[in-house]
Amino acid sequence: MSIITISRQVGSLGDEVAEALSSKLDWELITRNQLIDRFFADKANDKQKHLLNESAKFYLSEIEGYGTYKDLLEQSLYNLAGNSSAILVGFGSQVIFAGNPDAVHVRIIAPEKTRITRIRKKYSVSETEAGQILAMADTKHKRFVSTVFGEDITNSSLYHITLNTSKLGVDECTAAIIALQREHELRCRLLKENEKMDTLDHQTDLPVFKNPSEAEFARILDMYQIAWKYEPKTFPVEWDAEGNITLAFSPDFYLTQFDTYLELTTMNQKYVTEKNRKLKKVRELYPGTNIRIVYKKDFISLIERFKMTYTGDGESCT
Amino acid sequence: MKDLQVKQIVYTEEAIRRRTEELGKQITADYEGKELILIGVLKGSLYFFSDLTRAIDLPIGVDLISIGNIPDTTSQTGIVRIMKDLDLTITGKHVLLIEDILRTGLTTAYLLQSLATRKPADIRVCTLLYNPDRLLINVPIAYYGFEVNRNWLVGYGMDVDEKWRNLPYIAELNR
Repeated sequence: MSIITISRQVGSLGDEVAEALSSKLDWELITRNQLIDRFFADKANDKQKHLLNESAKFYLSEIEGYGTYKDLLEQSLYNLAGNSSAILVGFGSQVIFAGNPDAVHVRIIAPEKTRITRIRKKYSVSETEAGQILAMADTKHKRFVSTVFGEDITNSSLYHITLNTSKLGVDECTAAIIALQREHELRCRLLKENEKMDTLDHQTDLPVFKNPSEAEFARILDMYQIAWKYEPKTFPVEWDAEGNITLAFSPDFYLTQFDTYLELTTMNQKYVTEKNRKLKKVRELYPGTNIRIVYKKDFISLIERFKMTYTGDGESCT
Repeated sequence: MKDLQVKQIVYTEEAIRRRTEELGKQITADYEGKELILIGVLKGSLYFFSDLTRAIDLPIGVDLISIGNIPDTTSQTGIVRIMKDLDLTITGKHVLLIEDILRTGLTTAYLLQSLATRKPADIRVCTLLYNPDRLLINVPIAYYGFEVNRNWLVGYGMDVDEKWRNLPYIAELNR
């Protein structure tokens, strides 16, 4: 299942972003406050729970038969992530799930001045007191991750993205993280499929269409708000005796939400025959792959419906 | 009808009536005890929607939706948008989208995506006609009346240049 971890500075609105994400995605939100009761309820007495709240070092203490509290925390979170998608806030979750390809790690920050202003308003304290609260909390967060996991919380390589809430509102941050998570999930899915099916991954960052009809078809998909990737994958369909690929098929479009590959055939009949042959091979060699051909008459009828300019040149068979 | 150049009648009034009744019975059995809303996609599904909803023996909700292409000065293509939205709330309810014909499936895909954001219990599609060879997108077709592989069909809601929707049968035009 998918995981978003949020590491946040105090006063950065990271908690608010996490709550908004949980609400929009309908994913469970796990914070440090719930952690101890949830995962250590029957493994720690009141004194131990207090220590878990206050002392990072205590996470390295042994629990009989379970390893350390850190081990138990990690195992509990792995179990949780195996069953449902979740948003994890704090407690070194970005380190625990650092090796999980399905996880997206987010750091939320704001300049000290902005955070002090927010803390002053929230707790009705003086600027000096707000500064002290901030310094203590930052130190505590940093010490926890450093002591328990040996990592520096400010190390930017731990995160996929860092968002600054002095320049972005909660809504903008939430929208950015959701968009990132969706793209990341798709990329992970395609990568896993490529590994499993032995197909070739060549997702391009910017589509460079080979002919105008592809560009026009992309515009039609955009009109319908149907998400697409251009030639994200190549399916090898024939090999020589030494196992070298001699024939491959790269469908023009992949419709991400409908798990469907589309190939345009808008011009030459000889290409249609060749494409149909390749398509048949893909279906045989990669069962379960949804792949379809967009025939000329359908393409023209879509173009006519929207009165677009169709020049109809430059088709090739790939 | 004046000016109508019919190549052949593909589905008679009687054939459509019989098949619609069968679909109605099937939907009645499948959705018994569930809160079901039927959404007709305007204008093509008009007559099919009207007959199908009356062939279902359940206390269903009915609503209509239509989409259109809004010209946009910043692009060549314009934007597809919902022109007539639902009056009913579909959150948590079972939804059946009623279409006259599924060709490429792009319109239906757009509607399914849009309606899914309102978090219904589920959304499925019932179409009177569909052409499996031309369907580009895997839409969840739960029920269909007939498979077709013809162009220029008119009648029973379907048009060419906004004409012939009110024919009681489905015909193929001479073009």
